[in-house]
Amino acid sequence: MLIAAAGTAARPAAEVTAQSLIEGALDLTRGQASYTEMTMTIQRPGWKRTLSLTAWTQGREDALIRFTAPPKDAGTATLKKGERMWTYAPKIGREIRLPSSMMSQQWAGSDFSYNDLSRTDKYLRYYDFEIVHAEERDGHTVYTLDLIPHDDAPVVWGKETLVLRDDYVTLSQTFYDQELEPVKRMETLEVGDLGGRTIAMAMRMQSVEKAGSWTEIRYLAADFDADVDATLFTTFALRGR
Amino acid sequence: MPVGMLLQLSWRNIWRHRRRNAILLSAIAIAVAGVMLLNTMMRGMQQDLMNTAIENLTGHVKVLDPGYLDDPGIERGFEVADGWQSALPDHVRGWAMRIRVPAVVTSERETRGIQLVGVDPARESISFLGDAAVSGQRLSGPGDSRLLIGGLLAEALDTAAGRRLVLVTQGADGRTREAGFRIAGVYRAEIAGLEKAFVFTGLGALQRLLGTDEITEISIRLDGDEFEAATTAGLAGSFRDQDVMSWRQLEPQAASMVEVSDITIYILFVIVMGALTFGLVNTLVTAVMERLRELGMLRAIGMRPRVVVAQVVVESSAIMAMGVTTGLTMAAGIFALVADGIDLTAFDDSLASFGMRPTFVPVFDFRDVVLVAVLSLILGAISSFYPARRAVKIKPLEALRR
Repeated sequence: MLIAAAGTAARPAAEVTAQSLIEGALDLTRGQASYTEMTMTIQRPGWKRTLSLTAWTQGREDALIRFTAPPKDAGTATLKKGERMWTYAPKIGREIRLPSSMMSQQWAGSDFSYNDLSRTDKYLRYYDFEIVHAEERDGHTVYTLDLIPHDDAPVVWGKETLVLRDDYVTLSQTFYDQELEPVKRMETLEVGDLGGRTIAMAMRMQSVEKAGSWTEIRYLAADFDADVDATLFTTFALRGR
Repeated sequence: MPVGMLLQLSWRNIWRHRRRNAILLSAIAIAVAGVMLLNTMMRGMQQDLMNTAIENLTGHVKVLDPGYLDDPGIERGFEVADGWQSALPDHVRGWAMRIRVPAVVTSERETRGIQLVGVDPARESISFLGDAAVSGQRLSGPGDSRLLIGGLLAEALDTAAGRRLVLVTQGADGRTREAGFRIAGVYRAEIAGLEKAFVFTGLGALQRLLGTDEITEISIRLDGDEFEAATTAGLAGSFRDQDVMSWRQLEPQAASMVEVSDITIYILFVIVMGALTFGLVNTLVTAVMERLRELGMLRAIGMRPRVVVAQVVVESSAIMAMGVTTGLTMAAGIFALVADGIDLTAFDDSLASFGMRPTFVPVFDFRDVVLVAVLSLILGAISSFYPARRAVKIKPLEALRR
């Protein structure tokens, strides 16, 4: 029975392709415009801290993320508009254009890079992808996708694997180096309903090589069809208030 | 008095005190040999500093956009008219057009800032890249879009030949260019710092990435530094909108070190030979005092003071000339032993920080030989002044009464 189920799942229905799964996953937490509130917990050997932040997105390219707590970080914001990115720190009182070279670096001291935050449609552009495995789990079909970056793609990884449910919820994502050794892994800790959708409520990004260092993001509130003012995605709005 | 007799007199005087004069002669010889060898080493160091500066993608002469040094980037590029090479004078060993832009390189684990250099590999015999050891493959031509990275950078990025890196830089339109590149090979440079600084790719491939057909520099290597001024002046006419700069302007630190070592050579020579002069003066004075009776007698039978002076000067010059000849011969002998280079790998790290290579090759400059010889003879002549004066002041009557 189980074997039969797995067998049918391995030949997914015609409309389920790697492409449709990735597009679905990208749009799941974005929508035309979205508003989300979340906390981010950064664990390092010896210390741990939790930040609260609010994010607005519009389409697949524009995003504004602002920290709201703790007071030390409140007001710090990052704006991504198309390919360009700015950050604003209230202490300095001005916005700084981030060189795109920083996109692959850690964001706000977490295990996420700017690139991880702004996945946009780069998967569709820069990767070859295929479904390598499919199985039934908890009433869902779970697909494992191999994403192999093109030779000239601006991607350092040798391979990424993405584990997705048939309702586009990402269960895990693993980043491999070019020797195909895993370097870091993002795992979904909790799936739940928020803002009228079933999404990954909590995710943890963990370095495979450095145990005891991880970053966890947890959604608190979300509206995926929010009425977001387009003027929000300007360097003026970046300053807030 | 005939010159022949004068020479004969001086010559015999020298041989009258073989041991004393032999000691003086060996002192001069050793000093000259020492100064000469030190000189070849300084010249070697100078040459090394200069070559390193020039091979460090500089060349003797470089054509750059006027704003490039303050703000390097592809927006400081320029187009080169066909046939510009006709403005090149003789004595050009080679030239290379390049694009050199700042870029950020990222591997799976690390990120580094580097200089991305687009080259035509066939033309890079003029720079350190030409004879750098490469593991993996070299770039095949200007269209090769793979990378050649330095060994230290490969270690820092935890990567190797055959793997991919992501490069981020600014395109000609001011927008960011980001792309993956495969590593063709890993080069080793004699100056370790270069390995961290430069990442090479094909010139044409880089132009395609940046969206331009311009270049940012032309580097020209000459047969020797002495042709630099003429080349710079000659090219300035054909590159009116660009700066034509010599390596001295581009590598001021190396240039001033080269100048300082020039001065040091002369100072060392003056100090060593100056000390020797006192020895020479002492010997000559002693010789004069010993021959009081003889000189008094000569004066009494009508030898002119001028001839007495000439006799002392000839004596002094003869000792000096023999000493210098022996010294230079010794120096040449020792030089022949070390001419292939002295291995300094044990001190590698500290030398590299001065921009020097681990193998040290002394350089024999014929002009320095002439300089040492001429200056020594002049010193010999000057130092005979005091003893000669003493000899002239001898009163024949007093001398004969002794």
